[in-house]
Amino acid sequence: MQRLSRREFLAHSAAAAGAFAFGVQPGSQLKAAEASGPADMAIARWQGTGTPDEKQFKELSIKLTERAIDALGGMKRFVGRGAVVWIKPNIAFERKPEFAATTNPDVVATLVRLCLDAGAKTVRVGDNPVHDARRTYPASGIAEAVEKLGAEVVYLDRARTREMKVDGERLKMHPVFPEMVECDLMINVPIVKHHGLARATMCMKNYMGVVENRRVFHQDIATCVADITRFMKPRICVLDATRVLLRNGPTGGKIEDVDVQMQVAAGIDPVALDAWGAERLGVKPNEIGTITKGQEFGLGKMDYRTLSLREVAVV
Amino acid sequence: MSGESRVPGGQRLRGAVQAASLILFLWLLVTARQSPGAKPPSFSGFFFWIDPLILVATFLAAHAAPLLLFSAFATIFVTLVAGRVFCGWICPFGALHSAVGWACDRIWPKGRKREHWSGWQRAKYYVLAGFLAMSVLGSHWVTVFDPIVLLYRSATTALLPGLQWAVEESSTAVFNWDAKPGPLKPSAVTEPCRKFLREHLFAVDSQSFIGSGFVLVVFVGLLAANAFRRRWWCRYACPTGALLGLLSIRPLLRRALAESKCTKCDLCSGNCHGNAADGDGSGWRASECFVCLNCTSACRRNSLAFEWALPWRREPVVTSVGLSRRAMIMSAVGGVCALWFFRSSPRASSKRLGYQSRGLVFEPSLIRPPGARAEREFIQRCIACGLCMKVCPTGGLQPCVFEAGLEGLWTPRLVPQLGHCAYECNLCGQVCPTEAIAPLKLEEKKKFRLGLAAFDTTHCIPHAYGRDCMVCEECCPVPEKAIYFIETRIATRGGEQRTVKLPHVDADLCIGCGVCENVCPLRGNPGIRVTNANESRNPANQPILPER
Repeated sequence: MQRLSRREFLAHSAAAAGAFAFGVQPGSQLKAAEASGPADMAIARWQGTGTPDEKQFKELSIKLTERAIDALGGMKRFVGRGAVVWIKPNIAFERKPEFAATTNPDVVATLVRLCLDAGAKTVRVGDNPVHDARRTYPASGIAEAVEKLGAEVVYLDRARTREMKVDGERLKMHPVFPEMVECDLMINVPIVKHHGLARATMCMKNYMGVVENRRVFHQDIATCVADITRFMKPRICVLDATRVLLRNGPTGGKIEDVDVQMQVAAGIDPVALDAWGAERLGVKPNEIGTITKGQEFGLGKMDYRTLSLREVAVV
Repeated sequence: MSGESRVPGGQRLRGAVQAASLILFLWLLVTARQSPGAKPPSFSGFFFWIDPLILVATFLAAHAAPLLLFSAFATIFVTLVAGRVFCGWICPFGALHSAVGWACDRIWPKGRKREHWSGWQRAKYYVLAGFLAMSVLGSHWVTVFDPIVLLYRSATTALLPGLQWAVEESSTAVFNWDAKPGPLKPSAVTEPCRKFLREHLFAVDSQSFIGSGFVLVVFVGLLAANAFRRRWWCRYACPTGALLGLLSIRPLLRRALAESKCTKCDLCSGNCHGNAADGDGSGWRASECFVCLNCTSACRRNSLAFEWALPWRREPVVTSVGLSRRAMIMSAVGGVCALWFFRSSPRASSKRLGYQSRGLVFEPSLIRPPGARAEREFIQRCIACGLCMKVCPTGGLQPCVFEAGLEGLWTPRLVPQLGHCAYECNLCGQVCPTEAIAPLKLEEKKKFRLGLAAFDTTHCIPHAYGRDCMVCEECCPVPEKAIYFIETRIATRGGEQRTVKLPHVDADLCIGCGVCENVCPLRGNPGIRVTNANESRNPANQPILPER
């Protein structure tokens, strides 16, 4: 459970009171909350209609990410001067970005830039993919995009995992990549995808890329994913819904299965973000095991509308 | 007759060219690998292209050869003009033998016997005759012993994985030791070295090959033979050397001996790489001479020189190797008999294309790489060099031991448990020097069926133990998913009902890439296995009628 500091608690109370007092409906810009301190979750949406062309898509992806982080209180809220930041996208499979099996490279690259601007010393980007990283990183376009901005692309070494005390309901000791745990901040940047077994893979399930020996997880995926999420103590997640994979996930590969939605959400509560993401796929959040388990574990709130939420329109 | 007397520093020049050739070979070997976002160089197969034996054997067996293999005509031309320069100067395996021989001379400086021409050197010609007879009948066995192929295969499947194993094990031991005996932690030195080697030398995380020990034994044995006779392989056994020897029966460049100056001191023959002459320096056999220039450098009285001569000239004298026609014919007959023996197994006979074969018993684990030709044609072309195994990004391509019969020794097959066929990769077909694996475009390759997956419901986790699993479905790369699940109500031990997602294979969609078998949590005995049933290349092995 994310413990609230006294300051955060006061801010939240003020925000909630403000929202109540001004009678704000979800869907409109929350001016009141903006005035009263940091939000828990922010959603940036493109207001345009139709499908943007390639150039516009790139520009919008950058803008959506920037605005979502802004609405959350800016990157400085999370990144201290001289911090070492690990950005963890979903790069599990060897697919081109347009198939929506991997996180949008422009969203990832924008986060790299925001971190460096906020004073981060080092920004590392990496995942423990299902396919060979030497093939997934270039195919996803992420390696090229973030290297250009000065981030370090890390090819994780499976022979250098460390047994760590996860102390979960299922997982007690588990091999974890130490460099992903030992950074100052991890920014989890998954994409919203369909998943045959878990129904959807978003923020919580993306933490599976922090560990090894995960094939057995599938027999009780909800508990194992919740265990790992609790172990990772999420502080910020950015959920990419610029493209959404509706069917045949998590690998995809058919352009007809991809829905261009042009939305990016950011927040401190992975369960809330996943609930929002589930709705992007047309699934009720309480039908997804990882989400209900996450709420049960106290990792967050499924009903994201009750949080201090900001919605930003991007044109 | 324009005399070309002693080439100043010729011996050293030759050594430098040999070293350069070996370094080029190793560079091409190391760079034939998957590195992020980059393909291996398009000329990885350079040494295979210039090897005339590969051209001749492929042409005899398949009656066709890729255009690039005709580069070997350059070698043939050089051989017709100047003799076995390829053996003495270019061949990287020859260079390695030279180096080992040189080292043996340093280790046992006095132990070396004076070696001269031996009739046993004719053996390689008879071996070649037998192998080429096999080639005519469509077998690639001659190239199993081709020096370029032999070196490439040994380095790829045995030496590099061995080195990788040593590096991984030792650096991990240092890493786990985690001590700080001096000012510096040992792992602070070893870890960056390990990282560098992983990124620049080794192809795949902990790559290893089935049966590589046997490849290594052959390789080390051949190198060790240098202690017994210098360049034993090149003199007595090498089939490429024999082919080039046949081409250099009367070359234009010949060794001339000025008998008036010669004292029969034996320095020339004693230093000869190829044992081309008799003990007294006479009886120079052009077919055995590597043009290593040791003789002209060794002669103290300047009585030896290489000279140009027209083919019909008698001088300088060329002695014949003295091959017997009867022995050549017997060897060819022997080769044919050996092939009968190879093919007399029920499985081997099943390699014929189509339905006209005797026994249709397919070895189910013989899953050929994507784009592989029908088995008969594949065997006619595949030289078992190991280039496809070297570039395979998952390390799943492995050398056959007996899966393809003796005839298919060391040819590639996919072993899904070690590595699957990556959906977005067609490298093996791109690098294959003889196009035994056709160079398919990526879109064609994605549709090429290697085989078919099948669940073993006796131990597949959802089927046998009633728990959800679906790792195979998750990883299936076919866009429409060749593995699907049906939510099924089952009764548990206590009698209560539970819904389990039971996976099934869609035979119309499965391409047999094997990722399902590779990721199955039941390691060693996966609940889903791929066999070569339904493979695109073999119409006789497509038992499942498509539904649509």
